[in-house]
Amino acid sequence: MSFFDLIHPEVALDALPTIFKGLLLTLFVCFICGVLSLTLGMLVALGRMSKSRILRLSLGAYVQFFRSTPLILQLIYIYFALPFAGIHIPPLPAGIAGLTLHYTAYLCEVYRGAIESVPKGQKDAARALGMRNRVVMARVIMPQAVRTIIPALCNYMVQLLKDTSLLSVVTVQEMMFRGQIFAAETYDYFTVYSIVFVIYFAVGFPGIKLVDYLEKRMKKGYASRSVIKDSSIKTTTTRGGK
Amino acid sequence: MIEIKNLYKSFGGDEVLKDICLTVQKGQVLGIIGPSGSGKSTLLRCINNLELPTKGTIHINGKLAYQDESGKVFSETEISITRSKVGMVFQHFNLFPHMTVLQNVFAGPKFVLGQDEEEYRSEALAILESVGLAEKRDQYPEQLSGGQQQRVGIARALALKPDVILFDEVTSALDPELVGEVLGVLRKLAEAGMTMLIVTHEMGFVRQVADRVIFMDEGRIVEENSPAEFFENPQNERTKSFLSSVLSHTD
Repeated sequence: MSFFDLIHPEVALDALPTIFKGLLLTLFVCFICGVLSLTLGMLVALGRMSKSRILRLSLGAYVQFFRSTPLILQLIYIYFALPFAGIHIPPLPAGIAGLTLHYTAYLCEVYRGAIESVPKGQKDAARALGMRNRVVMARVIMPQAVRTIIPALCNYMVQLLKDTSLLSVVTVQEMMFRGQIFAAETYDYFTVYSIVFVIYFAVGFPGIKLVDYLEKRMKKGYASRSVIKDSSIKTTTTRGGK
Repeated sequence: MIEIKNLYKSFGGDEVLKDICLTVQKGQVLGIIGPSGSGKSTLLRCINNLELPTKGTIHINGKLAYQDESGKVFSETEISITRSKVGMVFQHFNLFPHMTVLQNVFAGPKFVLGQDEEEYRSEALAILESVGLAEKRDQYPEQLSGGQQQRVGIARALALKPDVILFDEVTSALDPELVGEVLGVLRKLAEAGMTMLIVTHEMGFVRQVADRVIFMDEGRIVEENSPAEFFENPQNERTKSFLSSVLSHTD
């Protein structure tokens, strides 16, 4: 019996509509949580680097807690445990909240690590010119930090896409959940989960390739990068150094 | 021009500067020498407020620069204005790697003074020309030699038309054969009447270019004199031993 004999096309055809519906929700959740955690992560990172001790400590505690505990437990806690404390959140918002809290904690560390990895001399030089703190951040620190940030963020976004499958445990009807239901109804686990695999791969793999590409590109020197963002530069630079 | 009174700076329990009193007149070139760890760099960094003194006052152009007598720090705006008048050049250049040479030079006029593009561009080009690097304007710092990078560093400081420039061991990170081109730029600036505070180990250069020399050791200014007197006839024991060990090396 070969691999393909285990796949039943008629079951696959039946499964596809419901799995695609799940895929739409998967992508939706990924998009919402992505946007939220990318934004909140930056705010939390700035908070963790702020002068206020209380802010630093409380945000630090939040980040360490969410990084130290399993995402699946965080999701289950929000959906199944909080109702006992009188907090009832429907499945989808609960899932989005859990994923966002979890990813904000990680992305915060990406931002913070990248900002702090810019050599101290850069800040000195910018301040010595008289730049205000905000200008130092916007014109000197961030443009250098993005080289570390962008590939790492893309990597986390692919991971986020895969982790949306955990929302199935809090009954969000994303792709994994739909697959589970359909598999249980037809008893054809092999066919259904194979399809789910293929679809996750089809969406995730381009993302991973993008990460690889960005990492390579960001490692190159500034001179060899093709795009010069400052429109005021009219002449092109010589590529590849001296 | 610069007047420092009873300046102290400690990091944790370490007192790095002790009771520094120093006056630099307009147009004067001051050489600051001394062993490493003697507080020379910290003194420069205090003058640009990159370090906040523990005690003491700094007047620049007759005005308290960053803090009032009680130690209260001025607003970000006031500090930013004063800093833009006090140029600084660093040992490790600290050029902005994501900007071209020309963008580095006009970073100050563009982001601090908010000048018009035409104005800061043409001025930055003229300054680059004066340090002999106009043809490198669209290259990135990583494409330049150390000596060229440091000349860009000087051009970047000059673009703000500072009243004084602080040079923090600006040739220490350079290959020996590149030191000359940077010192050449410094010499030109000195001849043009720029007020300069130069921390350096280049004794020969200090001797030729400086109007005055101070010797620092363990956070204090232990000797202050004209270069001729300082090198020919050092008074302090510590200065004598430092000079004899340094000069015997270079000869």
